Amino acid sequence: MIGGILVKIAFVTCLISVVSYYLNHRKGSASLLKAGRTFYLLTVATVISTSAVFLYLILTHQFQYTYVWSYSSRELPTPLLISTFYAGQEGSFMLWTLFTSIIGVFLLRHSSRKGYEPEVMSVFGLIDLSLLLMLIVKNPFLFVWESWPGQVAAGFAPANGRGLNPLLQNYWMVIHPQVLFSGFSSMGVPYAYAVAAMMKRDYTNWIKPATPWLVFGALILGTGIMMGGFWAYETLGWGGYWGWDPVENSSLVPWLFSIAAIHTILSQRKTGGFAKTNLALAMLCFLMVLYSTFLTRSGVLGDTSVHSFVDPGMWAYWLLIGMITTFSVIGGVMLFRRRKEIPLPAVRHDYYSREFALFLGSSAIVAAAVFIIVGTSSPIITELLHGKKSAVDISYYVTTTLPLGILIGLLAGVGQLLWWTRSDRKELLRTLRTPAIAAAGLTAIVTAFIIREFLVALFVFGAAFALLANIQVALRIFKGNPKYAGGSVAHIGLAVMFVGFVASSKFDEKQTISLAQGRPMECMGYTLTYTGYRPVDGEKYAFQVNVERNGQQYAVAPIMYYSSYNDGLMRNPDIANLITKDFYLAPLSLEQNNGDAASVVKVQLKRGETRAVGSVELTFVDFDFPVMQKAAMLEGKDVRIGAVLKVKGKKGKPVTVTPAKLMKNGESKDEPAVFEGKYEFVISAMMPDREAKENSRVEIGVRDLSRSASASSAQGDVLVAEASVKPFINLVWSGVIILLVGFLVTTVRRAQEASLKRASQAQE
Amino acid sequence: MKPKIVIGGVIVVLFIIFGSYSFMESNVEYTDIAGAMKKHKKVQLKGEWNKEKEASFDPVKSQFTFWLVDESGKECKVVLDGAAPNNFELATSVVAKGRFTDEGYFHATEVLTKCPSKYEAQPSELNKTS
Repeated sequence: MIGGILVKIAFVTCLISVVSYYLNHRKGSASLLKAGRTFYLLTVATVISTSAVFLYLILTHQFQYTYVWSYSSRELPTPLLISTFYAGQEGSFMLWTLFTSIIGVFLLRHSSRKGYEPEVMSVFGLIDLSLLLMLIVKNPFLFVWESWPGQVAAGFAPANGRGLNPLLQNYWMVIHPQVLFSGFSSMGVPYAYAVAAMMKRDYTNWIKPATPWLVFGALILGTGIMMGGFWAYETLGWGGYWGWDPVENSSLVPWLFSIAAIHTILSQRKTGGFAKTNLALAMLCFLMVLYSTFLTRSGVLGDTSVHSFVDPGMWAYWLLIGMITTFSVIGGVMLFRRRKEIPLPAVRHDYYSREFALFLGSSAIVAAAVFIIVGTSSPIITELLHGKKSAVDISYYVTTTLPLGILIGLLAGVGQLLWWTRSDRKELLRTLRTPAIAAAGLTAIVTAFIIREFLVALFVFGAAFALLANIQVALRIFKGNPKYAGGSVAHIGLAVMFVGFVASSKFDEKQTISLAQGRPMECMGYTLTYTGYRPVDGEKYAFQVNVERNGQQYAVAPIMYYSSYNDGLMRNPDIANLITKDFYLAPLSLEQNNGDAASVVKVQLKRGETRAVGSVELTFVDFDFPVMQKAAMLEGKDVRIGAVLKVKGKKGKPVTVTPAKLMKNGESKDEPAVFEGKYEFVISAMMPDREAKENSRVEIGVRDLSRSASASSAQGDVLVAEASVKPFINLVWSGVIILLVGFLVTTVRRAQEASLKRASQAQE
Repeated sequence: MKPKIVIGGVIVVLFIIFGSYSFMESNVEYTDIAGAMKKHKKVQLKGEWNKEKEASFDPVKSQFTFWLVDESGKECKVVLDGAAPNNFELATSVVAKGRFTDEGYFHATEVLTKCPSKYEAQPSELNKTS
């Protein structure tokens, strides 16, 4: 109850703060500035208290709250229990609001030093305000009787919660969403600075305070994306690190826009150009966060993805659309009206200049982002065109981004070798020569032996060139001032990552194998032996497999378990990391020979009903349960109940078989019946109806003997698994990490620059 | 200034054509069995698993076979490369991605399962103590 009230209080204080800040911008009254600041800090305090209350409700298992009941349970360990804070839609909006508010405190201090406080904080406060409105619409503090009025008595508290989806019960769940949402929250800052710049009619200076935030946002969001990829690869068993799923794309697109913005802003710092482009890109980073949120949270994608997209209800749907419209209109209209007064510096556009390379690179990144967002929006587009939702195939993303990837690789190399404004052509060719020749040689080797696809070979060339050129540049910078190495380090990471993409996807080997217990099997040069399973974490089972290659032993233990939450089999792969490659084992099923479940089909039959099973027709005639047996059962003696079945094969007359259940000393034993040595019938359940005999039903397990014979020639269990060898996958991970280190170096340097400038200004 | 805008414009137009072409080519349409049989493209086939017919995994070929009934009541055999997907047994509906083969079965590369009721809480579950 108190939580809901706190959200409303925060909404009101935030509204007052936004209005005060805005009026201060118009009128410049000092008391208004003070009011804006005070009410913003009050908002933050209230949002933090709300979150604390929310966390308290979760930790103390207050299941009378719908959210707590829906996502947590008493059995969860504390870290996972805390993570249920953001397991559902309401909670994840809460987390987003919390991070936005906290970032706002730092932004307030930072922007006030730069003289941007009223403008930046009125815009950033508006973001906070709309998130708070979302929390009022999607209230995380609803009681169960408010969620289902009339169906649940007021004051009812369920004994336990539904629990957390086992797919999310993982340490990544504890950290990944937090990183991702801090990234989303940071993307609001460049937007706020861009709009503030237009409010102040200052089109050049805003980029200095905005840059560290932008690079920081790209760093955090990039880390979040990488963690998501690793989560999918290592635990969810998707087989790869990237699946072009809407959820993944929706974090990638804002990140790509932020990367494009970083490059063109760098260009504006040096040459003064791209003022309009930078305003647009900085705003688009945040608008893309909003649009992506809309795609994944509004239910518009429907059935087109592996993820279930829950419909959040009409109000939340329109609020999301309202947010996108409001923030696009604010930014778009201001940019349009100010377009004439934004200065166009007299830049000589030399094609041999670094700014031109940066411009091309940013255009390629934006084009890739646009292709991806169009593909992700395909259910909406196809619904408008054909009236039916459908998604694009994964191949669309590869086809469209591959040519752009080639261009990006080449530019990442050339751009670093070019000078600002203009470069000497001869000088350029001279520095280009070494990396270009080396990259061409490398590509020629790779192409000749392994890859025969032209575009992929070009992509390898681009990546190799970027790698060599940037190593050359980085070595030179490290001799001077390593602080300036951020850019070239990031580009080295990019190149390594690109090489990793090709290596891990083109040389990926896959094979499905059936491992009989205790019997070594050869598979892609590895010897695999399934040794048995052991229980882990209570209800899960780890299937131990020894992997041997060239005398080296590795042990992997993929996990399978039945989840009552999902009513299905859950599978987690296991990986042996061999530095140059990963051996990846994803379990599929365990075929057990005693009544192996996989080859058994269960059929339910009403009395007199006929159904086709495999190649036979099965009719349930009646139960075989003579009167004297009934008497025996009442006396507690041994009983035999049979089910009379008429079986008709493709040819020949129907045959009557009678599988039975024998109840002896309180235990039941199956007496299977066999038809022509091909099918075996077992009674799996009996549902006699005493009142109306014709409604009696029986469930028969039908086993195809020919099928199970082929699978179980050996004794013991058979583990079916998909084994794959993923070479150089470590290149992808190390590439991403190097890339992020580059961002980190740049963030620190830009932040230091900003504070150095302040110190020197103070001295003056 | 002029030639630069022309060249830039041409590049943008080319990219739009390239993008729309790729989009149309790789758009995987939702369809029923009759529609999937007519098309030779990759499609998404929506329907329900016919639980009365056999569904089995062949460990030798590593294929999972089941029968799918679409909304019109038509049914066809689906052969999936790989094992039964998670939640297959309790899915309210399944979506198979793939194409029809000349042998008369639907060859799927991917099968998605939908169990919406499992993710949306129902008030009837409140009393369950699990």
